[in-house]
Amino acid sequence: MPNVRNRFLNAIEFRDVYLAYGDRVILDHVNFNVRYGESKIVMGGSGTGKSTLCRLVLGLIKPDDGQIFVDGEDITKMREEELMHVRQKIGMVFQEGALFDSLSVFDNIAYRLREQHQSEDEIEQVVSRMLRFVDLEHAIDKMPNQLSGGMRRRVGIARALVGSPKIILYDEPTAGLDPITARTINELALKLRDLEDVSSIFVTHRLQDIEVLANEYVVRDDRGNLVFKKEDDTLCLINTEFLMLKDGDIIFSGSDEEMRQADNEYIKRFLS
Amino acid sequence: MNPFIRAVSQIQEISLLVWRVLRGLTKKPRYASEMLRQMDVLGVGSLAIITLTGFFTGAVLALNSASTLQKFGVQSVTGQLVITSLIRELGPVLTCLMLAGRVGSGIAAELGSMLVSEQIDAMRALGTDPIKKLVTPRIIALVTMAPALTVICDLVGTVGGMLMSVSLLHQPGSVYLASAKTAVTFNEIIAGLIKPTVFGFIIAVVGCYKGMNTTGGTVGVGLATTQSVVLSSILIIAADFLLSKLLLTTLLAQ
Repeated sequence: MPNVRNRFLNAIEFRDVYLAYGDRVILDHVNFNVRYGESKIVMGGSGTGKSTLCRLVLGLIKPDDGQIFVDGEDITKMREEELMHVRQKIGMVFQEGALFDSLSVFDNIAYRLREQHQSEDEIEQVVSRMLRFVDLEHAIDKMPNQLSGGMRRRVGIARALVGSPKIILYDEPTAGLDPITARTINELALKLRDLEDVSSIFVTHRLQDIEVLANEYVVRDDRGNLVFKKEDDTLCLINTEFLMLKDGDIIFSGSDEEMRQADNEYIKRFLS
Repeated sequence: MNPFIRAVSQIQEISLLVWRVLRGLTKKPRYASEMLRQMDVLGVGSLAIITLTGFFTGAVLALNSASTLQKFGVQSVTGQLVITSLIRELGPVLTCLMLAGRVGSGIAAELGSMLVSEQIDAMRALGTDPIKKLVTPRIIALVTMAPALTVICDLVGTVGGMLMSVSLLHQPGSVYLASAKTAVTFNEIIAGLIKPTVFGFIIAVVGCYKGMNTTGGTVGVGLATTQSVVLSSILIIAADFLLSKLLLTTLLAQ
């Protein structure tokens, strides 16, 4: 009998997931879960299967063995049509934004709504709300090739947010960005985590991301303004946890305090 | 992987792609506007090169055959020879080889770069089946546009041949056209349309397959583009031989 209670508490759960390309083992019987409202920060060197995790959650690739649950449903046995239904609950931010080159910023963000045959009025409303959220209202008519790297990621985030998905996957959203733009992306992730109660997997190998996501949080003050605060003696964030991947295995799982004290050469080298 | 196994697995993957396209046709959504857009981009966009190809092919056919025909004193059948060659063979093959170069390569390059820049994944993540949205419209567009362009190629070729006959060979245009008319039969036209339909299908399927299976980043896109042109050209010429044999024993049997 499967553990019913767990299923309902986890937004994402990996059970004994195994994936290999030929002789190369990408994930070797991996177990972990992401609770509702939790951000799981996945770290590891290049080629350790971090991006693969996101693809597995979306069902873009299937594991060779094991089960993956998204919002309580086992997606490993699903056909492509059923997966389309699950994917509506998930927003994914791709590494380079993965914007559709042939479509304008407006059409990129409107994409999902157009596929669902929403009315043009509705689409316009949602798109301008999303662009306001990522602070890119002035870029609405631009084509992706006219945008900078940071703007592309932000448009990618706006596109992922359409339909208010409760699960968001970030695949190295800050890679190759300058510190200020990366900070903006991190703040967007904080806003979604703390104000919208979004569950997420955040793949990164940048220490700055880890610093911000593990120690800062955002609240709305009395006037409705957003205030970014740092965790201190009175408050400890429990909605953010870390995963470290190495050679297809999870070598660490826990909070940032635990990670800094972990007695593992690889983690120490990674964090130094 | 040895070449034989690779070839077999490619055939399997291409068949699977075609099967998924066919199965997708029975279910919504069908993206009719995307199909029209592709017909415009792939079909209407190729009009110029097809017209030029047709004109010069017709002209050179008339030029070459007239001197031979003159030796036998049957110069008056130039029109017939030009139009038969065009409808049966050169129209479909040259049109589709041009399409393979212009359109097939474009399809492979576009889909390939969409794949390596994760746009195809993004599309799936946003709930769209890329086969339906990208592959099917291109196949439908080419299957319908290749025969249409072939007809234009044949027509322009006939005109090109006539201009040659009149200006260089001093043959009256009416003789040329009268002789051409005798060659155009119903079966001839149908046979001339079957070929480009098949070729158009080959170009689109090969282009889409190569594009959707691109590996190795931007270098891979270049490779996929080249391979799609080479493979579809070879398949067109091989299919042309088989179809000619088949049509000569059925539709065109004397």
